[in-house]
Amino acid sequence: MKADSKLAKKIETGDFIVTAELQPIAEANGLATEAALKALGKGLASINVSDNHHGMAMSSLAASVAVIKSGAEPIYQVVTRDRNRIAIQSDLLGASYLGIKNILCLSGYHQVLTGYPESANVYDIDSTQFIEMVTKMSEKGELDNGAKIDGQFSMLVGAVANPFLKPLELNILKLGKKVEAGAKFIQTHAVFDVETFGQWFNAVVSEGIDKKTAILAGVFPLDSADEAQNLRDTYTDYYVSDAIVERLKKAGDKDSQKKEGMNICIEIISKLKKMKGLRGIHILSGGKEELVPQILAASGL
Amino acid sequence: MIVAERKKIQDLLEIVKSHKKLLVLGCGTCVTVCLAGGQREVSIIASALRMAAKLKGQQLEVEELTIERQCDNVFIEQAAEAIQRNDAVLSLACGAGVQAIAERYPSKPVYAGLDTSFIGILEERGIWTEKCAACGQCVLHLYGGICPVTRCAKHMLNGPCSGSREDRCEVDPNRQCAWQLIYKRLKEIGQLDRLKKIKPPKNWSRSQSGGYRTILREDHRV
Repeated sequence: MKADSKLAKKIETGDFIVTAELQPIAEANGLATEAALKALGKGLASINVSDNHHGMAMSSLAASVAVIKSGAEPIYQVVTRDRNRIAIQSDLLGASYLGIKNILCLSGYHQVLTGYPESANVYDIDSTQFIEMVTKMSEKGELDNGAKIDGQFSMLVGAVANPFLKPLELNILKLGKKVEAGAKFIQTHAVFDVETFGQWFNAVVSEGIDKKTAILAGVFPLDSADEAQNLRDTYTDYYVSDAIVERLKKAGDKDSQKKEGMNICIEIISKLKKMKGLRGIHILSGGKEELVPQILAASGL
Repeated sequence: MIVAERKKIQDLLEIVKSHKKLLVLGCGTCVTVCLAGGQREVSIIASALRMAAKLKGQQLEVEELTIERQCDNVFIEQAAEAIQRNDAVLSLACGAGVQAIAERYPSKPVYAGLDTSFIGILEERGIWTEKCAACGQCVLHLYGGICPVTRCAKHMLNGPCSGSREDRCEVDPNRQCAWQLIYKRLKEIGQLDRLKKIKPPKNWSRSQSGGYRTILREDHRV
């Protein structure tokens, strides 16, 4: 059955879409999640809820329900690192019951990067197979093994892409498979280098992929030169150039660096907004949800 | 071959401390080649155990023996007398060899002296690398002879994850990204098209997920 989320409608009508990320923390009472939701404000099409992204946190399923309770629409993120296809499908049926209508399918950081290097790694399915599985559930009303789902299941399926992964041919090949598998929207990793992003996006457009899925470019407000360096040293998917690190350093003290980080983020958004065919912006808050309304206001989003 | 590593001497001493007469039993096949459990290592471990026991004031008599293959009953037979005259066996075979000895001698304590690591190859002198996860359903023909099940930390079957950077893996910058290798190799041999088709989820029931595996060959049954 066709997805009926607000995000699905925006994709259909051609609206410029703005989403942002909520990063749950390791909490038992949801107070921090509720505070973060308040901080994110009301200006977003949907709110992504990350799944144990940089460390152990409250489940993205529960935090997605908190998003619904706050009056907003969640994009429920699920990684294949921790759950096999039984657990994923079961959680998805539960998500449907709880009113969740959008899912972002990821493989997720390896557990080495989440503070649990000794835990077992599941990876029963990969991100592409995950997308195909949820698409089948939505379109055919069937589980992966062919069993019928009781009641209507409808989920808008999204995926991620890293525009900076090289070689470009391999990058586009992988993205094409995700879209073929049923991804209706793509949120990219953080863009710090608009020129390289542009090269990737041109390739996406020349393959006609932008016509089949809505591409939202990711942005990330950097706090400081230290944060920038730490991110690129720890995670291989953060492509922060030396020029940006230097620019942050030169800004001066902690507050000035933070302001400069915001300036950089806003500059990047203004360049991205001019790209024809790009369907929106995804703000990767990195747990700094309180910055999102400022970014929206300063970028005219 | 099966690649293994020796346990620490202090751990081995703890494992065998209740015994007075110990047979250190080497294996002449895989673990000899990977320098973990052959005749040479039997001799080193036996000497180290004798010395460590002496220093700790423990009474320990150690006998040394290496047979061709501990996973094969024909060869196990050659160790029968040595096993009988000792209180326990410290096997320097892979996990299969240790269990084969233990099954054959149900009343004799048999301990593993090695940590069995993987099926792999000698990459260069002193470096062994895992190449096969024995998943029970080989997909190497689809990936240019490079195994994504074993060599990708996420077993990605449809392309690299977002953490693949400059040929390196997000888990460890000293490791090559299997997907970069697969891409290069398929391009080189003109088979990049093989990557374009979406590969369905893997049938893990043929791997260790299905419990221990057996192969029955009717044509070889008597």
